[in-house]
Amino acid sequence: MPTSEKTVIVSGISKSFGDVAALRDISFEVSRGEVLGLLGPNGAGKTTMVDVLSTLTRPDRGHARVAGHDVVSHPARVRRSIMLTGQQVAVDNLLTGHQNLMLFGQLQGLTQAAACARAAELIREFDLEDAANRRVETYSGGMRRRIDIACGLVVRPEVAFLDEPTTGLDPLSRQSIWDLVGRFKDAGITTLLTTQYLQEADALSDRIIVIDRGVVIAEGTAEQLKERTGSRYCEIVPKDSKELPAMAEALSSLLPYEKPTLASDRIAIPAPDGANTLMEALRRLDVANIGVADVALRRPSLDDVFIALTKKPATRAAGGSAAEVMP
Amino acid sequence: MTDWTGMRPNPSPIRQWWVLSVRVIAPSLRNGELLIAMSLSAVFTVSLYLPLKNLMAAFVHGSYAQYLIPVIALLAVYFSAMSAALRSSTDTVSGINRRFGSMPIAPMTPVAARMSGNLYRCATALATAILCGYLIGFRFYRSAEYTIGFCLLVMLIGFTLCFVGDLIGMVSKNPEAMTFILVLPAVILVMVSVGLQPADQFPGWLQPFVRNQPTSQFLYALRACAGDAGHSTAAVTTLNIAPALAWLAGMLVVAGPLYALAIWRRR
Repeated sequence: MPTSEKTVIVSGISKSFGDVAALRDISFEVSRGEVLGLLGPNGAGKTTMVDVLSTLTRPDRGHARVAGHDVVSHPARVRRSIMLTGQQVAVDNLLTGHQNLMLFGQLQGLTQAAACARAAELIREFDLEDAANRRVETYSGGMRRRIDIACGLVVRPEVAFLDEPTTGLDPLSRQSIWDLVGRFKDAGITTLLTTQYLQEADALSDRIIVIDRGVVIAEGTAEQLKERTGSRYCEIVPKDSKELPAMAEALSSLLPYEKPTLASDRIAIPAPDGANTLMEALRRLDVANIGVADVALRRPSLDDVFIALTKKPATRAAGGSAAEVMP
Repeated sequence: MTDWTGMRPNPSPIRQWWVLSVRVIAPSLRNGELLIAMSLSAVFTVSLYLPLKNLMAAFVHGSYAQYLIPVIALLAVYFSAMSAALRSSTDTVSGINRRFGSMPIAPMTPVAARMSGNLYRCATALATAILCGYLIGFRFYRSAEYTIGFCLLVMLIGFTLCFVGDLIGMVSKNPEAMTFILVLPAVILVMVSVGLQPADQFPGWLQPFVRNQPTSQFLYALRACAGDAGHSTAAVTTLNIAPALAWLAGMLVVAGPLYALAIWRRR
């Protein structure tokens, strides 16, 4: 469970590569045992942030402390407290899964016997028993990811950085990585997870930071972010799309001050009373004798939030996402 | 998730170096890399000695085996340097160097481990070259110190070229393309040297290059150390050995700071 103790403290971090400002004055904190999702589109600065926190890159300005150690003045201490898995699997393909775990165990200072025992444990936990003595180059994408993460756990990290851990995985493998991250949380390991999958941030993170063009543009729980964009809405698809204007007319009084939004084949109306609004809408359509093909009560998805947050207002597509429907 | 609350151990740099060296060396015994490195020397010996032996008899004083084996040893070392570049490049591209950078491992430890693997490969290649040489009639004619000197010089050349190879590999983004490009200078430096035929067999305008380029300077020094049955090989003098050592020193003086820069720039 997250505690009030802060294991990651980022304060005013900026980093440029030549003319490109990868990070601009980024600040956030992560509590012990918390899973923080760092969400952003490609090139937002997520990996640069992870690089700064895992001592691979020096920030130009600002301070960052990981597990109580400053990343610039005490990088060696930080390295003893973290695990990092990058966007690509970084293990030795010529070695077997077991040999890789032995290698990383011994590099972390375990004796051969301890490394061997720990390797056996991790192989069991990560469900790699059948593949333990095969070279990693023969593994499937999901198995490679699992051995990659397992290699970071040969000694217990205080903070884990998972940089887009499920990029390029099939849904089943993605689910198995999600289960693993769930266990990080149970074990009280502070986890910073970068992802461009909103569903992933939603499913795994206690809190989400949305970052775009090197700047934090939103922060909060998934629920809070959804609230920011708007509340529930109701989506109705008529049987015949020619009836859309009639449908809009029939439903207009449900929202006295605003007209319902006409999307391509459906109408979306705000549903402040949830199911009651939906039932009222259906009753009116029944009275007006308009056939309904589909109806749904929806919450804005994180995708809607994400698109709303990362797009400039001027470039938002008209009538596109539900985010625009909301008052 | 198992409880793993034991004290985080303190990794020793020597042990890390050893573990990483074993990582480089152990697979080469199984995946045929070592076998290929060894057969390379044998193939070079056969494919150069047999066709050229009679052809060169007129131009080379003494036995052609005696003339040829130093360049066989150098070729083996050049190929080791290319393997070194490939290995280093693969480690960079695969992200494993990045990962090591986030672990409690000193920046020079993975480099030192790769270099140990490279030296092991050079030593194997040298041993095979000498063995092949003995089969076709090559001998060390001078005292044991000179024999040791011959081997040390080959290893020193191996160290330097593998270090340069490791550096090139580290900054290269594409291992396959890089290996292909590295073959070209290696072939030129060996073919346009006194490795296969004396300098006076090359066109006059090319001879200054042939004589002074590093491969030839290495060969003059190695041949002096090996000696021969008659008196056709120059004695071991500063004049024979110094240019080879100067080339090596020069390469290290240039590559060393570049290497430090390459590691520093990733920060």
